[in-house]
Amino acid sequence: MLRVELRDVGKRFGSTLALDGADLEIEAGEIHALLGENGAGKTTLVRTLYGLVRPDRGEIRLDGRETRIDSPAHALSQGIGLVHQHAVLAPALTVAENLALGEKDSLWLPPARLAQRARTLLEAYDLALDPETPAGELPVAHQQRLGIVRALARGARLLILDEPTAVLAPSEVDSLLELLVRLRGEGRTVVFISHKLEEVTAVCDRVTVLRKGRTVATRPVAGLDPRELGRWMVGVDPPPPGEPPGGEVGSVALRAVGLQAGLLRGVDLTVGEGEIFAVAGIDGNGQAPLEEVFAGIRSLEAGKIEVLRSPLALIPGDRQRTGLVLGLAAEENLILVEAARGGSEPLFRWGLLRRSRLRESVRETFSRFDVQGEPAQPAATLSGGNQQRLLLARALRERPAVLVAINPTRGLDLAATGFIREELRRAARSGTAVLLVSTDLDEVLELGNRIAVLFRGRLYPVEAGRRTRERIGELMLGQVG
Amino acid sequence: MNVVRAWGVPVGAVLVASAVAAILLALLGAPPLEAVRALVGGAVGDSLALENTLVRSSPLLLIGLAVAVSFRCGIWNIGGEGQLYVGALAATAIATRAFGSAPPGVALPLALGAGMVAGALWGGLAAVLRVTRGVSEVLSTILLNFIAVLGVAYAVHGPLQEVVATYPQSDALAATARLPLLPGTLRIHAGLPFVFLLPFLLWLMLFRTAAGLRLRAVGLSPEAARYAGISTSRETVRVLLLSGGLAGLAGAIEVCGVTGRLFENLSPGYGFTAIAVALLARLHPIGVVPAALFFGALASGSGAMQRVAHVPSVTVQVVEALVILFSVGFALPRRGS
Repeated sequence: MLRVELRDVGKRFGSTLALDGADLEIEAGEIHALLGENGAGKTTLVRTLYGLVRPDRGEIRLDGRETRIDSPAHALSQGIGLVHQHAVLAPALTVAENLALGEKDSLWLPPARLAQRARTLLEAYDLALDPETPAGELPVAHQQRLGIVRALARGARLLILDEPTAVLAPSEVDSLLELLVRLRGEGRTVVFISHKLEEVTAVCDRVTVLRKGRTVATRPVAGLDPRELGRWMVGVDPPPPGEPPGGEVGSVALRAVGLQAGLLRGVDLTVGEGEIFAVAGIDGNGQAPLEEVFAGIRSLEAGKIEVLRSPLALIPGDRQRTGLVLGLAAEENLILVEAARGGSEPLFRWGLLRRSRLRESVRETFSRFDVQGEPAQPAATLSGGNQQRLLLARALRERPAVLVAINPTRGLDLAATGFIREELRRAARSGTAVLLVSTDLDEVLELGNRIAVLFRGRLYPVEAGRRTRERIGELMLGQVG
Repeated sequence: MNVVRAWGVPVGAVLVASAVAAILLALLGAPPLEAVRALVGGAVGDSLALENTLVRSSPLLLIGLAVAVSFRCGIWNIGGEGQLYVGALAATAIATRAFGSAPPGVALPLALGAGMVAGALWGGLAAVLRVTRGVSEVLSTILLNFIAVLGVAYAVHGPLQEVVATYPQSDALAATARLPLLPGTLRIHAGLPFVFLLPFLLWLMLFRTAAGLRLRAVGLSPEAARYAGISTSRETVRVLLLSGGLAGLAGAIEVCGVTGRLFENLSPGYGFTAIAVALLARLHPIGVVPAALFFGALASGSGAMQRVAHVPSVTVQVVEALVILFSVGFALPRRGS
């Protein structure tokens, strides 16, 4: 049996406070749900328990004894196992070899013995897999299951699953939930990070809700009011100050009809000139494919996007990976979209870059958007706030008719966040149609003329009269009614 | 500081490699000082040696540029050798068969152009495989090298063999298809000044045009480039056409300006040494000039070293390999620098 307590755990990453005194109490033999918005600290908390994160303060008690867990190997020796959303397997190794990884003796066994052992383990958990298949060729659901079996084979009595259902199809979710119930029946304990209310109510015994790095509540699931759960998750603070831009909404500038791609299961939306249409929701509900289809790097399986006013500009969601080319100079990043279109007047003439024009234009843009840095400085050496301002500047300097902005203030300090939100509002006031996709509820409430919630690949509009945290929290958890 | 960063490491790599080579020579029982003196003498000791060095630098420079632009785009074109061979083959075919009796002023541009186009297509083949089938260009360009080298072997034993059919080599190119020697020199052909102009043009392309910006963006971060609206496939095709074209031109210049005919072993591995040239130059087009001259000098001095100091010329290959090791180890531009 294993009873786990985490007390007053704090952890800071750079300028971000990931955990601010979180508590978690897990009874032996229960399925315990961990619920919270993106960035609430769920993953950091369980990683602390698995020895992947060393907390700045707080204590961990296993069966009442204070313990320091400083590596996953140590966690496993205490009977604690963690399975990531995408199970961490060696893709080129076979199923049997993956199961043997991390066990000192078994890699020396002959392949036939390994396969035999694997078969026994897999059969015990109804996983009909060929032990000789390379793990990388398995579908995601099977890889995940294999990750679970491996954790169990290494003696995990407490199994942590970090958002396992986000990558699964509905039928696969059901069979995963069945497995969790079965593990509980065997006397094991499960910690289950989820964003879906129905999953929580279906199998979990108790739930802990985290918000902004703190524990809000731990309650038995039975008899729990889902509204209350949503409230705990998103808070009941009054909507943030600052008014959503309430100007004239002009004719439709961007329309999407029946978008299907990956997780997206038919998204319709329209954005009018001068309007900010805000899409809220928890990451993993289709945000990634939504961004990719608007960036034009993913083809639609069905539906269409009509850009009725151009140009369309994009602020990608990950400034370091998809936004900026970090090795290029700041000024080069600024003109990258123009260069992608072939390079035309006035910055280029006969294909050649006109340096004096560029310098002039860059200075102007930098001061207009308050980018602190040298134009010739590599983008990698700018601070996060300035990198994001640079992306904002790149998108807005051409006065786009349509702007698609994905998490434009993620991880920024208050000053930069305020600046960027004000610029988005200003763009809308000047007639730009803004599609804002953000997992930050404050941002959505502050900026959106209209709000919709993305849940499992579908958009659920927030009714005009019910524009509250509570309502959005319900929709984020899938309480559509 | 910038100057130190740009030059310090490559120069350091060369110095360290030379020191290690000197120790190696001493261990072999050869007098290092004498060997070095012979090597330097053979490379730059008199005007003939100097001319020899320049002529040998030319293909290294061209293919070094080819490698540098493709690496800058994140495309690992290891096929310079093969592209050189198909370029030489195409130039020879044009000059000895198709347009052998064309008037002056026609045959030469046609031959050089054909070499360039052939090299570009050879590189383009790897691009098509990569873009449509996801075949790594490292593999395809290496394999295409074999096809090109063996293709030339077949040609000089078969369709392009000299009319008298004595040796496995092509007919001599007509004078109208040859690059004339510069007056007052014994080996410097008219193509050489142009070759030494190319690094500047490439520099202009890379750092002062939209095309160059796209190319570098794809090399540094394909994902961010795609989100900015750049087609990575198109850039892949373009850069391999350019890169192959440069290497093909090097092959055409070899037959039109240096050898005057096509035969097996036309290149002593220029296409591979050029990778070292590009790396030593830190993938900078201007840096390719000193790097190519350095390796050209090594190649041209190694013969003298063997004759005079009785040090096997393969020692030079050891030096080349050491320079590659040290320049890759220390001098390869880090992503983001």
